[in-house]
Amino acid sequence: MEVDREDGRTQNQLRPLACSRNILHRAHGSASWSQGDTKVLAAVYGPKAGTKKNENPEKACIEVIWKPKTGQTGKQEKEYEMILKRTLLSICILTVNPNTTTSIIIQVVNDDGALLPSAINAACLALVDAGIPMKHLAIAICCVAKSGYVILDPTKLEEQQKMKAFAYLVFPNSVHSVLPEGSLSVQGEPIEHGIITSVTHGTMSVDDYFYCLDRGRAASVKLSDFLRRSLQQHSTDSSKAG
Amino acid sequence: MEQKQSNSPASFIDSTVVPGDVVLDLSSMTNQTVKLGGGLRQDCDAISAMKAGTLRFSKPNKYWVESSQKRNFLIDVKGPAVGFLPVLAFEGGTRRNIPKFEVGTLLYLRVVKANFGMNPELSCTDAGGKAAEFGPLKDGYMFETSTGLSRKLLSSPTCPVLEALGKKLSFEIAVGLNGRVWVNAASPDTIVVVANAIMNSESLSGAQQIIMVEHLLKSIQ
Repeated sequence: MEVDREDGRTQNQLRPLACSRNILHRAHGSASWSQGDTKVLAAVYGPKAGTKKNENPEKACIEVIWKPKTGQTGKQEKEYEMILKRTLLSICILTVNPNTTTSIIIQVVNDDGALLPSAINAACLALVDAGIPMKHLAIAICCVAKSGYVILDPTKLEEQQKMKAFAYLVFPNSVHSVLPEGSLSVQGEPIEHGIITSVTHGTMSVDDYFYCLDRGRAASVKLSDFLRRSLQQHSTDSSKAG
Repeated sequence: MEQKQSNSPASFIDSTVVPGDVVLDLSSMTNQTVKLGGGLRQDCDAISAMKAGTLRFSKPNKYWVESSQKRNFLIDVKGPAVGFLPVLAFEGGTRRNIPKFEVGTLLYLRVVKANFGMNPELSCTDAGGKAAEFGPLKDGYMFETSTGLSRKLLSSPTCPVLEALGKKLSFEIAVGLNGRVWVNAASPDTIVVVANAIMNSESLSGAQQIIMVEHLLKSIQ
């Protein structure tokens, strides 16, 4: 079913992506990620010695601070922090640097829809820039579902219109592998078919949700290739490090 | 994708890998010992990358991921743990002859042991017990760079930027693998030129570094 979107994109078309690494000089890792007009800056400091009081000292700990563009931090920001922390905890290898804390600070530069997915992508790229060991990368995407069709990467206007239901989905990245049957599989299915995080708003039917998952997964492959290319470019720029 | 058909790790060596990429399949390499360096971890029979960087291989059996970071967590005192410097680890050190350092002294030293989870052990003597230029560094200027750049500066044959600078200027330099570089020379101008040249050379190739150094030297004369 063809849908007319305000900015002329098709259903499955993403906004132009741009990202850059190592932009802040004092942070141990930093990245900026923009999808269309939404732009987010992420900085990583760490690992620093010591964990917080109630955290397990045998594992590394991650702390997220979300700074909105204007205004003070409130419940919405605390919710974003919690979602980001859980997502990043599942992709980082926590046993490599036990009893340490890594801080990630997210600064919203501009919000034009799909804010949380952009923040997750920026945070993941900043962690790679800081050299924190990870199991795989996280690719986040936002889908809006409405009675039978799904549109990807909505702008703020599209998100707010007509009380649509939308979902933020985070998938692991697609992996290059030397194994003949593809990447590592968990219980018979390749890792790429898994999902890391899913946050939904509003009501949608179960079929719509699964349709969202399919479309989101297909788009995450494209995002994953973009991420890989930008990492490759960066490492050839800093030619033969070491 | 082509990489999935080939079973040999040669397809990934010297190319960029991203966390999650499976770079070696151990089930096809029985009866070989493989040494894994930084950035790789083992998951049953598959070796996957933990960091983004270039996969390197050195005969006969060492694999590692090279990447440049602002901090090197495992080995040095810029990491999450403080290093221990035993009081007797100085040449001619005895219990009665303990050297005194003020807070903030810059020391050039050698890492004796650095195990996972333990604080690294350091020393101001070489393996034979001689001083060999280790110890406090006086005067000069210290600045911090990334670990990749300090590895380039320490590689042999000499890095192009240091060679080009050495032909025209005379200076003394100490480079640590943790990214800290110390420069000393007779006049402050020379120190500033050398420091700037090194900081600028991070992302330049050999030929570009030589050109950059020539420009810098011309502009101060």
